[in-house]
Amino acid sequence: MIKSFAYVRPTSVDDALEMLGADGARVHAGGTDLMGCLRDGVFEAERVVSLRDVPGMRGVRASTQGVTIGALTPLAEIARHSVIGEQYTALARAASVVGTPQLRSQGTLGGNICQRPRCPYFRAGFDCRRKGGRICYAVGGDNHGHAIFGGVRCHMVHPSDTAAALTALDATVVAVGRAGERRIPIGDFFVAPSVDPTRETVLEHGEMVKEIVLPPAADDQRSSYHKEGHRRTWDFALAGAATALRMTGGNVAEARVVFSGVAPVPWRSMAAEEALQGNTLTPEVIGRACDAAVEGAAPMRHNAYKVGLLKGVLEKEMLRYV
Amino acid sequence: MIRDAEGRYWEEGQEVFETPQAAPDPKPWSETRVVGTRRMRVDAYERVSGTAEYPSDLLLPGMLYGAVLRSPHPHARVLSVDATAAEALPGVRAVISGFTPLNAALRPHEQLIRETLFGPVRRFEGEAIAAVAADTPYHAHDALRALKVEYEVRPFVSDERDALAEGAPLVHEEGNRVGDASTYARGDVAAGFAEADVVLEEEYRTECQIHVPMETHGCVASWDGDTLTVWESTQGVFPVQAGVARGLGMPLSRVRVIGKYMGGGFGSKLSMGDYTLMAALLAKVSARPVKLFITREETLLSAGNRPPSNTRIKAGVKRDGTLTALDLSATGTGGAYRAGGTGGLDFLVRELYRCSNVRTETQDIYVNAGPARAMRAPGYPQAAWALEQMMDALAEAIEMDPVALRLKNISLVSQVRGRPYTTTGLEACIRDGAEAFGWEAAKARAEATRDAPVRRGVGVAAAMWGAGGGGPPATVILKLFSDGSLNLNLGASDIGTGTKTIMAMVVAEELWVDPDTIQIEHADTGTTQYATASGGSKTVPTESPAVRAAALDLKKQVLEIAAAQLGVDVATLALREGKVVTTSGPSQEVPLARLNDLRRRGVVVGVGYRGPNPEGKMVNPFAAHFCEVEVDTRTGRVELVRFLAAQDSGRVMNRTTYDNQVHGGVTMGVGFGMTEKRVLDRGQTGRLVGHGWTDYRIPTAMDVPTSLEVLPIDLGDREANSTGAKGLGEPATIATAPAIANAVHHALGVRITATPITPAAVLEALAAQRQESTR
Repeated sequence: MIKSFAYVRPTSVDDALEMLGADGARVHAGGTDLMGCLRDGVFEAERVVSLRDVPGMRGVRASTQGVTIGALTPLAEIARHSVIGEQYTALARAASVVGTPQLRSQGTLGGNICQRPRCPYFRAGFDCRRKGGRICYAVGGDNHGHAIFGGVRCHMVHPSDTAAALTALDATVVAVGRAGERRIPIGDFFVAPSVDPTRETVLEHGEMVKEIVLPPAADDQRSSYHKEGHRRTWDFALAGAATALRMTGGNVAEARVVFSGVAPVPWRSMAAEEALQGNTLTPEVIGRACDAAVEGAAPMRHNAYKVGLLKGVLEKEMLRYV
Repeated sequence: MIRDAEGRYWEEGQEVFETPQAAPDPKPWSETRVVGTRRMRVDAYERVSGTAEYPSDLLLPGMLYGAVLRSPHPHARVLSVDATAAEALPGVRAVISGFTPLNAALRPHEQLIRETLFGPVRRFEGEAIAAVAADTPYHAHDALRALKVEYEVRPFVSDERDALAEGAPLVHEEGNRVGDASTYARGDVAAGFAEADVVLEEEYRTECQIHVPMETHGCVASWDGDTLTVWESTQGVFPVQAGVARGLGMPLSRVRVIGKYMGGGFGSKLSMGDYTLMAALLAKVSARPVKLFITREETLLSAGNRPPSNTRIKAGVKRDGTLTALDLSATGTGGAYRAGGTGGLDFLVRELYRCSNVRTETQDIYVNAGPARAMRAPGYPQAAWALEQMMDALAEAIEMDPVALRLKNISLVSQVRGRPYTTTGLEACIRDGAEAFGWEAAKARAEATRDAPVRRGVGVAAAMWGAGGGGPPATVILKLFSDGSLNLNLGASDIGTGTKTIMAMVVAEELWVDPDTIQIEHADTGTTQYATASGGSKTVPTESPAVRAAALDLKKQVLEIAAAQLGVDVATLALREGKVVTTSGPSQEVPLARLNDLRRRGVVVGVGYRGPNPEGKMVNPFAAHFCEVEVDTRTGRVELVRFLAAQDSGRVMNRTTYDNQVHGGVTMGVGFGMTEKRVLDRGQTGRLVGHGWTDYRIPTAMDVPTSLEVLPIDLGDREANSTGAKGLGEPATIATAPAIANAVHHALGVRITATPITPAAVLEALAAQRQESTR
């Protein structure tokens, strides 16, 4: 049972920011993660600020400057949006494999990139490092789902599918706070545990995501996203790959490779990108890219399989471009 | 069921009774009109429209809501519970703990342990410490947060593989072994191994699986003076009645338990829970009705499980496929209390295949974890996981087809009990199943994918179930109203398997009435007759002969009434479509509603009892499951392309619910084999890791086989009982997981000996295989 809290529904961005500034205030977009966190005691809320009645925060606007997606846009809407499906396929695919149909109808893009970790220790009331405690229980415990890259102090994996796709597509997060608006390149939006293991994003208290901007897609750009989980649906990624490639005459002119489910932040693999860039997608090139992708992986006791899995996922994804 | 030295039968600590037999049982039907057809459930509309009232739906005037404070430690002594702040909160009406009056209530146990509800030492995370009742669930949970508990935290051991090590913390002072190992032996295994051409030995493990019924565990309790009424989500109202009466020291007549609908139990609701007593006591203290349904998290911690198992099998076989010896040793754990941690774990090895030399040894171990409770074929899926993979390995070693090896070792007698089965469908399930599945073609198809990244494989596994024959007692009453409509009164619960529908079909078969005119009153200790819990896959073979007997008793009286009215010999009369008709002599008929004596009396009552099972015979269901998989070697993803379940459960009573049962059994088997695993924080905190549906993964509709065919094998059992039905619910889940494991082995050439078969497990097995081949 959730502890009692006040529920408010502001009708403008300014009012929302005013209310969010208070101590113990939490933002409520789709609520699919918030309600779970409150129920599981991951954190408490004195006041839940619903954005539901704030105008202008929902919907997809396409222009020559690219595409702007309101933070409150449901994932299901993104998954079936024709422009996103054609020009930013990775995002449409990522949105379409989040959770279940119910969760995609209710969950929003802003919420999806700001969700709290799904590490079962973090969720189940263990006083872990991400909660300000002294140890990461995954190190000595069950770590089959944990990070093979970037696990420093905390070994959780970033749970968002869309975050990996947005990183591959070079998105910009537009955040608003009482101090005003700031545009944050997605690569700077997520916080690695080496910097601070108690937060996942650079958002300050009282600040919220307003919208996400995708740059214009080049004509020759193609992108994709795929994840593998325990189940065929309703599962977070054990390993996933968001890729965006520009192909000229059968050659990879430019490549972006970003992994989900393997690191505490969306994990961009420059090594894999380099192995692809300037080359034709032969089995050898793909193989080299897969090997490069897992270089430097530091598996824990139960998750060495993720090294092979990640290679398998990337290989299958690359074959889509051939 | 356990038979004691005095010849009395016990189940879950409750005595079960035998019923008198008024008349010898009739022979099973030769032909049927209703039984065996596809028929929609009699309560389908109620269930689908939401008008069916489950115990958790019940709202009574003035009702309070209960909640339970549970130990956050795997092992601790409770030094004190301070309820001052909680009791001062608004809306809080009652707090009970080991430090309040009324703590003499006896908690439920699978075995007869007499211990109070809130004992001083808590031996698993989630064991109850206190309970509250308040105006709303929110007030109740606020009260839990306000309770102050002082603990003396003790060392714990959470895994049975660590619990017998020297210096391991003790769960109970007498040690972590639950008594001595259970052993069984026949023949001479050493001689058997000497005789074998091939001897293999392997270790297998299955993880702890949790029941997770849709409706969580709980009840509503309400007192009227000294009489207690409990609406409980249960598989059996009479065991709950007995448990409450015993726990609270009351006569059975003062405890009424009602359980008309229930949202799943799978064995975890065969008897009452500690929550039942807590609700009753909270209701007593507050003088208000109390609803206490535990949360999902609490079900994962405290409401039962299929315990983990560790099994070693050594097996010998001759080149011609004859099994020469089977040797099993296994450990398991029922958690912190005696709860049958190894129950059923060796039965298949002793019974399923013909083998003269068998030895088994099982050791149950205490750990600081939530207690096991019977779960759909307790012990058998774990045993099948080991035995059926071993059979496959033997077949491979002697280069014999796995189907052929199994067919070579069929037994027509129960080797454990030394009696023949009434019918043995094992051979037909395997042979006919393989043919319907297209075993040979699928095998050839799989062989063609050996070098591809996505490989196919086929697997088979067989099973039998040690219960499933049903038996006494059962007492059923059937009432004929003056207009010809009927009331069927039986004590058994319908746990979602279609019991009510099948019983209405039996009445309709015997009396030639429309099943929709039959009102069913069931699962109420106040108004229906004693029945055992619906479990053990025995409800249909137990209740349906009693229902048929009641219908025959009623029919006899009705025909006598009609014979007197028509002035004809009763032997010339029969029932047809709601009428009594003559079958010889001058044609006469009278509708039931026109029977004068019935109209004068207003009712005719038929009574039926369940007679004994055939002497000197065993009644058991059998099964064989076939599976075709596609395994992606790059991602470890296993796709269940095709599945066929051949089931010998005797007569098919209702083909619709028959298929439903098998679909459910296979789905649960997929969960057991591929997705489900309780994770305890072994070696760190001992606590449950993952508290909900995201981390405790049951299969979704996307994870079950794309094509799932049910093949009933009905050998026309004339001896089992008067309807010829055997149990189905449990035998439908036993062989599923090993069939999948064998198919994965066929596809990849690697054997996954531990559940669940996740992408990680497949990739790890493939990596080990590569390492092996490069060595």
